[in-house]
Amino acid sequence: MEASASPLFGRLMLFQIAFRSFFLQASWNYRGMMNMGFLYAIQPALDKLYPPGPARQEAYSRHLEYFNTNPYFASLVMGVVLSLEEKYCRGEIDADIIHDTKEGLMTACAAVGDGFFWDSWRPFVAAAALTLAFGNFLLTPILFLVVYNVPHLYFRFRGVFWGYQLGTDVIKLLKAFHIQRARLALRYATIALLCYLIPNHVNLHTPFLLSNLPLEYFYIGEKLVQGIGAALLVGAAAAGYRAKIDVLMISFLLMVMALVLYHWGILI
Amino acid sequence: MTEDHLTSSLLIGLIGGIVDLDSTATWQFMISQPIVAAPLTGLFLGALAGQEALGLKLGLMIGTILQLLWIEQLPLGMNVPPDAALASVLSVALGFLAGRDFDTYVEREVCNTVALLVAVALGLFGRALDRGIRRLNTRLESWVTLRLQSGKASWALAAGHTLGGFLTFGKAFLFCFIVTWLGVEPLRAFTRSLSFGQNTGFIVIQGLLPAVGFAVLAGMCIKDQRELRWFLSGVVLFTILPTSAWIGWLIAGIAGARILWTQNDAV
Repeated sequence: MEASASPLFGRLMLFQIAFRSFFLQASWNYRGMMNMGFLYAIQPALDKLYPPGPARQEAYSRHLEYFNTNPYFASLVMGVVLSLEEKYCRGEIDADIIHDTKEGLMTACAAVGDGFFWDSWRPFVAAAALTLAFGNFLLTPILFLVVYNVPHLYFRFRGVFWGYQLGTDVIKLLKAFHIQRARLALRYATIALLCYLIPNHVNLHTPFLLSNLPLEYFYIGEKLVQGIGAALLVGAAAAGYRAKIDVLMISFLLMVMALVLYHWGILI
Repeated sequence: MTEDHLTSSLLIGLIGGIVDLDSTATWQFMISQPIVAAPLTGLFLGALAGQEALGLKLGLMIGTILQLLWIEQLPLGMNVPPDAALASVLSVALGFLAGRDFDTYVEREVCNTVALLVAVALGLFGRALDRGIRRLNTRLESWVTLRLQSGKASWALAAGHTLGGFLTFGKAFLFCFIVTWLGVEPLRAFTRSLSFGQNTGFIVIQGLLPAVGFAVLAGMCIKDQRELRWFLSGVVLFTILPTSAWIGWLIAGIAGARILWTQNDAV
């Protein structure tokens, strides 16, 4: 593993950069996307590395180029960039290496981070929270925040240290997390939670059961109607979603259908 | 308009500004997710009216539905998703403030459902505002680049970057304040104009709306026929089993753990 010859940046500086990375997207723009946020986060380190003058100006310009990645993994890129800037300052590498490494790493981190956090972790934690919210558990929002932010804060703060200490070898470290396997596990767990949510939390009631079923069979009849009805509704809506119909349009169609069925006395 | 309503509107503006900052501009702790933003709004509004539990429950109910509706919306690259944070804050604010004047449960529920539907549309408008802010940020970026290249003003970066955050906050604050300030009375009038039959129809809608979110989540998670068969068997199983979230959690845990122990990373 590559380690910096004599680390110039201490823990306090790295913490400061991790903290500043929370504001990465404050000035998100269509030209450079997160470029200002990236430079803002590493600015204290650049100021320490380069005295005022052309070298500092050049470093600023270098990091005002286009930058876009997963915000939780950005601190990892920042750490790697700092280790490279240090080497550049010592004359060990040229500026193109910083540019190319930064570009490659931001793409890799976007793929890994977006895939894990947006596509797997957030839906799973949301589905788990929904099982509690439907039961009117009032602490659900706090639990959601605590659970969701454990890996977020871990990657945000450790990322900058890993990036700085390991340099480009940080990719090997990412592999050790088995992100693909974790994503699959989260997807299956989300499906299992959905299997619970669908028959139990789509409220579908019809008056026919009350008038046609003996009272002792009412509970099981109600559960069956709710389960089958919910599965049919979800199936129809999922078919619409797969056919690329907008979610809001599907909701609107569902509302119209609900009002019509209510008007005809089929739903109450 | 009373002083009380002005205070509520300002409070909603403040909450809207803070949670909107979290949605993309800063932090991203996910306070902006509907399941957090809506109960938070309900709690603060409830506290102002001395009805904390009522506000929190309303927030949780609305947050649950909005979380499901927008579960697939991701802030990836150039994609600007509908503003779920503002929609959550506004739906709770409008529902709570308009509904508290009614005596019956049904009328209050109608206020909540209509507020939810209106807020979904406002979430789309919020997206347009977000794009406007990003265009302003693009101008800011050009200004900062020029300043830094001239080498005269290294403070320009911090100033430009911070201004970007203030623009996001200001947009959300004003939007939430104006909608709450002007929107409560028309919502009350609309609810008053409905008959009892129409009112209960809105409650039926509220019960069915989660189906759309479940469909979206299923569409995201189920990739092939084999998974679909497992999923349908699971739905049948949970239709028969007693209603208990713990059983759901147990089976989810087993499904996840099985993958973690048996699969390799080639999958």
